[in-house]
Amino acid sequence: MLNFYQPQPDQGTPEKITGKQVTLQIDGVDVTVAEGTSVMRAASQSSVKIPRLCATDQLESFGSCRVCLVEIQGRKGYPASCTTPVEAGMQVRTQSDQLAKLRRNVMELYISDHPLDCLTCPTNGDCELQDTAGELGLREVRYGYSGANHLDSGKDTTNPYFTFDASKCIVCSRCVRACEEVQGTFALTVDGRGFDSVISAGQGEDFMSSECVSCGACVDACPTATLTEKSIIELGKPEHSVVTTCAYCGVGCSFQAEMKGDQVVRMTPHKQGKANQGHACVKGRFAFGYVTHKDRITQPMIRNSIAEEWTTVSWDEAVQFAAQRFTDIQAAHGKNSIGAISSSRCTNEEVYLVQKMVRTGFGNNNIDTCARVCHSPTGFGLKTTLGESAGTQTFASVDEADVVIVMGANPTDAHPVFASRLKRRLRAGAKLIVIDPRKIELVSSPHIKAEFHLPVRPGTNVTVLNALAHVIISEERHAEDYINERSDVEAFAKWRNFILDEKHSPENTADITGIDAAELRGAARLYAQAANAAIFYGLGVTEHSQGSTAVMAIANLAMLTGNLGREGVGVNPLRGQNNVQGSCDMGSFPHELPGYRHISDSQTRQLFEDEWKVSLDAEPGLRIPNMFDAALDGDFKGLYCQGEDIAQSDPNTQHVEAALTALECLVVQDIFLNETAKFAHVFLPGATFLEKDGTFTNAERRISRVRKAIAPLSGKADWQATMAFANALGCNMTYEHPSEIMAEIARLTPTFAGVSYEKLDQLGSIQWPCNAAAPEGTPIMHVDEFVRGKGFFALTEYVPTDERANRKFPLLLTTGRILSQYNVGAQTRRTENSQWHPEDIVEIHPHDAEERGISQGDWIGIQSRVGETVLRAEVTERVTPGVIYTTFHHPVSGANVITTENSDWATNCPEYKVTAVQVSKVSQPSSWQKRQKNYHDEQLQLLEKALQ
Amino acid sequence: MRKDSITRLLAMIDQIALNMRANGCDHEVAEQVAQHLEKFWSPKMKSAVIEHCSTGPSEVSAITGKAVHCLHLIQKAKSS
Ligand code: SF4
Ligand code: SF4
Ligand code: SF4
Ligand code: FES
Repeated sequence: MLNFYQPQPDQGTPEKITGKQVTLQIDGVDVTVAEGTSVMRAASQSSVKIPRLCATDQLESFGSCRVCLVEIQGRKGYPASCTTPVEAGMQVRTQSDQLAKLRRNVMELYISDHPLDCLTCPTNGDCELQDTAGELGLREVRYGYSGANHLDSGKDTTNPYFTFDASKCIVCSRCVRACEEVQGTFALTVDGRGFDSVISAGQGEDFMSSECVSCGACVDACPTATLTEKSIIELGKPEHSVVTTCAYCGVGCSFQAEMKGDQVVRMTPHKQGKANQGHACVKGRFAFGYVTHKDRITQPMIRNSIAEEWTTVSWDEAVQFAAQRFTDIQAAHGKNSIGAISSSRCTNEEVYLVQKMVRTGFGNNNIDTCARVCHSPTGFGLKTTLGESAGTQTFASVDEADVVIVMGANPTDAHPVFASRLKRRLRAGAKLIVIDPRKIELVSSPHIKAEFHLPVRPGTNVTVLNALAHVIISEERHAEDYINERSDVEAFAKWRNFILDEKHSPENTADITGIDAAELRGAARLYAQAANAAIFYGLGVTEHSQGSTAVMAIANLAMLTGNLGREGVGVNPLRGQNNVQGSCDMGSFPHELPGYRHISDSQTRQLFEDEWKVSLDAEPGLRIPNMFDAALDGDFKGLYCQGEDIAQSDPNTQHVEAALTALECLVVQDIFLNETAKFAHVFLPGATFLEKDGTFTNAERRISRVRKAIAPLSGKADWQATMAFANALGCNMTYEHPSEIMAEIARLTPTFAGVSYEKLDQLGSIQWPCNAAAPEGTPIMHVDEFVRGKGFFALTEYVPTDERANRKFPLLLTTGRILSQYNVGAQTRRTENSQWHPEDIVEIHPHDAEERGISQGDWIGIQSRVGETVLRAEVTERVTPGVIYTTFHHPVSGANVITTENSDWATNCPEYKVTAVQVSKVSQPSSWQKRQKNYHDEQLQLLEKALQ
Repeated sequence: MRKDSITRLLAMIDQIALNMRANGCDHEVAEQVAQHLEKFWSPKMKSAVIEHCSTGPSEVSAITGKAVHCLHLIQKAKSS
């Protein structure tokens, strides 16, 4: 629903959640609020606005401006309402002649040092200073306008998204506090004293060269035009807005998309969003320019072979062409010769439709999703041990944690808004254990120092987790009562014998893991003794040949110490993409129907057969890597790929490219001509999250609405495109709106039974399971018992990967992500975010670099047993000797040319995190890079001709 | 199916068996591996390894041989 633009309400100071309520009188009216609430917030709750400048409800009150003074009966003087907590029976007066005079005096001082160019100021009409002057009835400034002021101070325009105009600064320090309290970066300081005070980014640096990570919290907090988005300066104030959900990472931040006509001018993090509570990162807040980038393809296109030019056609022609090709392929090669891959970036409703189309239109179960290559081990591991393929907590639950383990994840880069919350908790005293081959930012950053950093050798996570469990159980630090009550005791007894074997001790595993035994023991003790301990993990756990085992070992640790089923604890997978959780929930795996029910279960199948009016194949279909192999075998000829760039993101690029080339018909639905589309025969233009309605489900199982802000550039949202294709294949899909798709999902899926668009509008978001037993959703899972009944301690035997360092390939390459770029970079590379990360680089330890004569910035060739690529070197101690690290945000980097097709034993999730390599100094790109460039140029020419 | 593909499938079964080896005796592990394949593999992948293991001598590890045999029994039971 579109609304007229309104700045989000600001109650002045943060909400206090305490059990006790307090009643006081404000201007003669009784007000009841939680104990600890400020007088300012209490007044705001009864619709009385007390003027303010240095206070905002995103920050703890500071009490510097003295504009918010009030009178309190029985108290001397004029206390600041923002710093004064309510008391029972308190009688507060917010307006009097004396208060008006005092406030005007303060305001006059501020205004005497402020330019009076309101009419031409970019935030005219949306400025708290201007509003407050109005509220106070300021009519004159007795001090004149030419005191010792900052009117000539220059502008810092170095940040691509916002400017800092020092002449407008009132030094309220809201920005400084936002950077500290909300973001946790501590990039800003107040330099100088009194009238000479100025705000500065770092040590006299500009914003771009400072520590600033461009989260925008300071811009939001600033009550003047000092910190203002460049889009607002250029385009002016928005006039309408809509609340939607970020389409980047699995934190799932809620945003107010603010628009002028059909142009988005600003994304403001939504304070009511339960995942982010008004915070955001540089991707979600600023990197939306790709939506209207010139590279967007908005017309359907077809061609007979990948060597031909594209022809732009109508939607109808495109889907008929694709449907005919797929039908012909099935007629010639059998029912199982076609399949589809759906995207975790698309909405729940869209991925649901793709699997429905495959199961009803293709008549097989050849449907997989990109979660295959990231968190499929999470699904398997958590289902096996706890009974549900999902994380157990809310993000907010970390506020109650005393000890936090972060394993194989780099939240400050990949899940920044969660990282800010975690940092806040750590600054308040919680202890941190980091298990990661790299010294990630959390190991040591302003006001944060990990208690333990266990720099695990890539590929040995399971050994570390087993060693932690060994210490806990051999030192009898486990939660015996919890285990007896909550777990399958027979399985526990078996596991106990297994884990007590001395081969799992920290001392006996140190050579394998590279971790000092005493450090590991210390970490195990710290985790076990905590009243509340939580584990957060990422792809550094799952993307291994033992990914599923590691997830089970994590669940074992949590059960062993009784850390499941309440606030502050749990097992929390940090999902990579916005809708990884949702795409898995929606039946996008080849063996499962929505709600994680196996396709061989005849009762479940019957339910869907009755609804869909077809009979379903009871056998699992092909997973993504199986599809590639089958394509090379000549058995698999047609693929519909919705919004995933497999040619860039999947391992062993040359293998993937060969498989794609072998297809007779590849249908790609995407917003850009991505790497995969260069091998396609049909291109269906995709829509961005701003162009459609639907829902995303974040890493906390939180279902949030995605709301259409602008019309789809191609005329169809992705659910409509899939529907058109499905109908061309003979399906009968007649949905008018995604809410009807959600209604069908709710009818067929017990964990979604209570979900509807009406309820989402009413509650803002819902964490599944949501049904009769939990009508408003389930924030914390496994409270009284595990979903599977008794928790299952799975045996977690460590099986080393085949991908081992040897004489030929002595180093281990591991991969990761960077803050400013998102996955294959298709979106963020087409925004100013590229200023922070214009190319992928490879990190190498000084020792390894020196041995090979490599210096900072050199081009180095990286060879693995499957391929070679060339990247620029960064010599750094962030990585340990023997390990190199890179990102994969740019196609030309070819990071996946070197990763192998080794995969997790249970789910085939690729082992991106371990590749044995050799590196050497080189002077030119690799042969793959040269080929890639030629192919890219050729395909662009074929496209340009079509679009002329 | 290409020889490469069969080799890869057999290697995958070896890998699954290795990861399950702590779960019990060879017989139990073979049974669990077969259940895993039944649950997650497509019919063509299952039939390819069954066929490969039942047509003459092949370089298959003992545990994989056993697992594929169990898988064969599951398939037979299903079709009867
Ligand atoms: S930049 Fe804005 S928020 Fe920061 S001190 Fe100046 S006026 Fe206050
Ligand atoms: S944008 Fe974020 S990181 Fe940068 S100064 Fe502002 S609050 Fe700090
Ligand atoms: S933290 Fe994730 S969801 Fe939130 S704004 Fe950043 S990218 Fe978007
Ligand atoms: S708003 Fe209370 S002192 Fe500034």
